[in-house]
Amino acid sequence: MADEVEQQPSTNTVEEPLDLIRLSLDERIYVKMRNDRELRGRLHAYDQHLNMILGDVEETVTTVEIDDETYEELYKSTKRNIPMLFVRGDGVVLVAPPLRVG
Amino acid sequence: MDPVDVQGQSQGEVCSSLRERSISENSLVALLQGMQGHVTTVELRDEGWAQGRLQNVDAFMNLRMRDVLYRGHNMGHTSKLQDLFITGRNIRFVHIPDHMDVLQTIQTQLQRIHRVRTFNREGGGGGRREYCPKKK
Repeated sequence: MADEVEQQPSTNTVEEPLDLIRLSLDERIYVKMRNDRELRGRLHAYDQHLNMILGDVEETVTTVEIDDETYEELYKSTKRNIPMLFVRGDGVVLVAPPLRVG
Repeated sequence: MDPVDVQGQSQGEVCSSLRERSISENSLVALLQGMQGHVTTVELRDEGWAQGRLQNVDAFMNLRMRDVLYRGHNMGHTSKLQDLFITGRNIRFVHIPDHMDVLQTIQTQLQRIHRVRTFNREGGGGGRREYCPKKK
């Protein structure tokens, strides 16, 4: 099921959860990963393990710092851009269309 | 052992294990296998990274790399390593070089795998069959 290369299955109906990801091929998607990471990029390929190839990716790493005195939680995020990225599936938590900022 | 050729598998050579070939042709690991011979950056689960030439990738995404610049997660500095083995489980990302055509690389690697199967098939009937012949 190394999709995008093999002949696409003839059915266009959604039969299993992975088919939902197939609908997002070549679209921009949002990927939530383990360790407080998020990716936004164009989905070029995926497989049954959720290994993915994303293009024009922006990775966001979020950290929480606790202020020593006020014990406030300070959320910091670091971003970086990568032109083409292979993502190993076991780090993926969820896949969704890109979130619209309200 | 030939000291000149340190390479395990040269670009695109297909694994001889039937099981690994089946795994590779059904997942995106085929892309990484097609990238053998290229210089890439591999980011690890533990926040380290390794940049070097992909020497060999197996079906489980275990990597061997050559001439590597490696930074472990807790190291402030990078080390130069001639040879590095990374377990597939420890990989988070693999950067794909800009010049690489993803589709073409995957197709080429799948063709190599299919070629190996056909070659085995043509062993005059003595070659190991990879799939059961159709029953009449």
